[in-house]
Amino acid sequence: MPNTFKMDNIPFSLLNEGEKRLLSTHLDIAYYQQGETVIAAGDVPEGVYIILKGRVSESEASSENEAAQHIFVHYENEDYFGGWSALRGTAIHNFVAEEESICHILPTRTLLELMASNAQFADYFQQNLAVKREIVAQHGGNQDMAEFMLAKITDAAVRDPLVVEQGVSIREATELMRHKKADCVLARKGGRLGMVTGTDLLDAVVLEQRPLETDVSEIASYRLVTIDHEDYLFNALVMMTQQQIERVVVLSGQEMVGVVELTDVLSYFSSHSHVIGLRIERAASIDQLREAALGLNELIKALISTGVKIRFTMDLLAAMNGRIIAKLFDLTVPADMQPHVCLIVMGSEGRAEQIMKTDQDNALLFRDNLAWADKQATMERFSATLISFGFPPCPGNIMVSNPEWVNSVGDWTQKMSDWADTCEGNALMKLAIAVDAKPVAGNEALFKVARNWFLRHLRNNDVFFSHFARAAVEFDTPLTFFGNLKDRDRLDIKKGGIFPIVHGVRTLALEQRIIKTNTFQRIEQLIEQGVVREQHGRDLSEALALFIQLRLRQQIKRTEEADDGVDPTPNQIDLQQLNKLERDLLRDALHVVKGFKKHLAQRYHLGG
Amino acid sequence: MIIPRSIRRLTEKRQHREGPWSELFETYKGDEVVSLDCETTSLDVKQAEILSIGAVRIKGRKVITSERLDLKLKPPKSLSGDSIKIHKIRASDLADGIELDDALEQLLAFIGNRPILGYYVNFDIRVLDKFIRPRYGFGLPNKAIELSHVYHDIIKWKHVGGDVDLRFDTISSKLDIPMLERHTALGDAITVALMYVRLKYGVIPNTSY
Repeated sequence: MPNTFKMDNIPFSLLNEGEKRLLSTHLDIAYYQQGETVIAAGDVPEGVYIILKGRVSESEASSENEAAQHIFVHYENEDYFGGWSALRGTAIHNFVAEEESICHILPTRTLLELMASNAQFADYFQQNLAVKREIVAQHGGNQDMAEFMLAKITDAAVRDPLVVEQGVSIREATELMRHKKADCVLARKGGRLGMVTGTDLLDAVVLEQRPLETDVSEIASYRLVTIDHEDYLFNALVMMTQQQIERVVVLSGQEMVGVVELTDVLSYFSSHSHVIGLRIERAASIDQLREAALGLNELIKALISTGVKIRFTMDLLAAMNGRIIAKLFDLTVPADMQPHVCLIVMGSEGRAEQIMKTDQDNALLFRDNLAWADKQATMERFSATLISFGFPPCPGNIMVSNPEWVNSVGDWTQKMSDWADTCEGNALMKLAIAVDAKPVAGNEALFKVARNWFLRHLRNNDVFFSHFARAAVEFDTPLTFFGNLKDRDRLDIKKGGIFPIVHGVRTLALEQRIIKTNTFQRIEQLIEQGVVREQHGRDLSEALALFIQLRLRQQIKRTEEADDGVDPTPNQIDLQQLNKLERDLLRDALHVVKGFKKHLAQRYHLGG
Repeated sequence: MIIPRSIRRLTEKRQHREGPWSELFETYKGDEVVSLDCETTSLDVKQAEILSIGAVRIKGRKVITSERLDLKLKPPKSLSGDSIKIHKIRASDLADGIELDDALEQLLAFIGNRPILGYYVNFDIRVLDKFIRPRYGFGLPNKAIELSHVYHDIIKWKHVGGDVDLRFDTISSKLDIPMLERHTALGDAITVALMYVRLKYGVIPNTSY
């Protein structure tokens, strides 16, 4: 059997041995010379094409007089293409060999056969980005993460398994569980083990009215969810959340070593972040607070490098940063002034999407006619202290040390509406930062008054939204770069991916008067209100999470390599550092962005 | 060697026109070619025993690897140290091999009257003939396509003077064809098939030595 075909790549690695054999016995190999059409739009494709060598581009079926065809994507070694066309029965795009290419062809019939026998493989082929990411996450997602701390399964309390043989009755099992203070038991049936939980016992006896003499192995569930004892504890938590279960069986090789329970996992984690939280809360001086703040950096680094889901990390960091800033506010601003002012954070901090400490974007609102002589001096001290905590100053000087960002509620609302009316780039940028504001300390009511006024003010102002949305479609989304890894191997992910999503969602959210500031939450709300279709929303969220994750990993690496510990190009993604799978996902994610931009252009009439 | 073979073929064609294998002798009209490779115990036809046979069909620009022949034979008595070194096939690897009779039957059915392509294909054909003739009364009547000739003709045409390097590895690297499993019969047959398709349909490679 020729092993020219690499089975290690997802989705083919999802197949079992038998299915892999079936696949490899049905593969053909085809040769295409440069410029030759592999699949033409409208054709019935033979199947899925997997590139052995060469490069193929996918482009829109062009009308005759259109000179330059618009190329969507390049496919390279080991990429596959035409899956969608094969399933549809006809191709909607042209696939052309950009250079001499040799492709394996997996016939549609075999593809369908494999999809019928392997649900995960089918999901990967058919589904959208969100599902793909999930499948990837379950199958060796975290391999290339740096070796960092964070708890392994063995660090948490792994409980000794309570195993009973087949033939033990429900009554006996229950007695044994009570005696051993366990809340689940593993029942052996033949060579297999099945889980019986307290709930299973209750269901069997109370709901199904089975006699107490019933063999427990009859009510056990044999689809055990397992995790290796060397795996990260956090992954056990993710697994439990995904599958909605509370126990995972721990294996060492093929051998069962115990059971880890949700409560154990949660208590382990809470104790960690809890400690830092406590230190922040109890800090009595700025020095103590600074120490706690610096400890936070380490926790974040550890979370990131171990592949904890990016949204959890961002939420945790946002919460912690918020508490640090609030505590500093507490220590800096006199107590009698606190009810009359409100500190807000804006930009990525306000959206709770900051991970590496970028810059502080903050502002202060105060009650109209407030008399506070020391105000500006206090705010300067506040900014300087934050800088000493490791929050770099904002290059645009959007922080409370700048009087422009210290306003009475009346002035603030006036400023916002002025910005909205000018429709000029710089003003709109300031506005974009300001509408992501979130109160962190002081009197929240001041902030809410201003925000609600502004949202009402914008109602039905179509001209504004059209101008505001334009920025989201301004930068081209680069989908053709995959072919030119050699000469153009860097991609500005902020311009190409992150900003269009964040800003587009921000615009939609403003229009719908959604008060959430986090992009993921905004998307959820947009779905709820029926503005965005659920599928699209989920894809957008996954795309954004992917961009942030990829960027972050390279940021950390560059920060560590740089002499001064500063990443000179924070938004660059070096494509050569991505593996095949990541390139695949990145490509899908950029497709999502492209579609979203199209949607925005239509909605806000942004021709061209 | 070539002339006697064609004369013999004519005679054999007459003899077998009415026989069960008459189809093999008809002139081939289709567009398929079979790429064939045998691993043998010796490079001398008289002594060579067949260890394995690999073959794939080529249809147009496509190598139909899904329809292929991958035959391992029972170990011959002559399996010696030298050929083990080349092919890394030991007697134990062939323990579950099939009988030669069976293999030849399958091979003839697979090839039919299609042209046979190979790298130094005459050697393979002569070894096969050595075993086919006593059993069937004829040798393989198929047209033979020699890969190195195809390559040579194209290169010579572009490149006047000098000897053309016809080593297998050179050809495959000049044509930028990924080497599949070298020294398994099927792997070599597929590689040769790809080189052939590449020469037939691709751009002529640049051969500045």
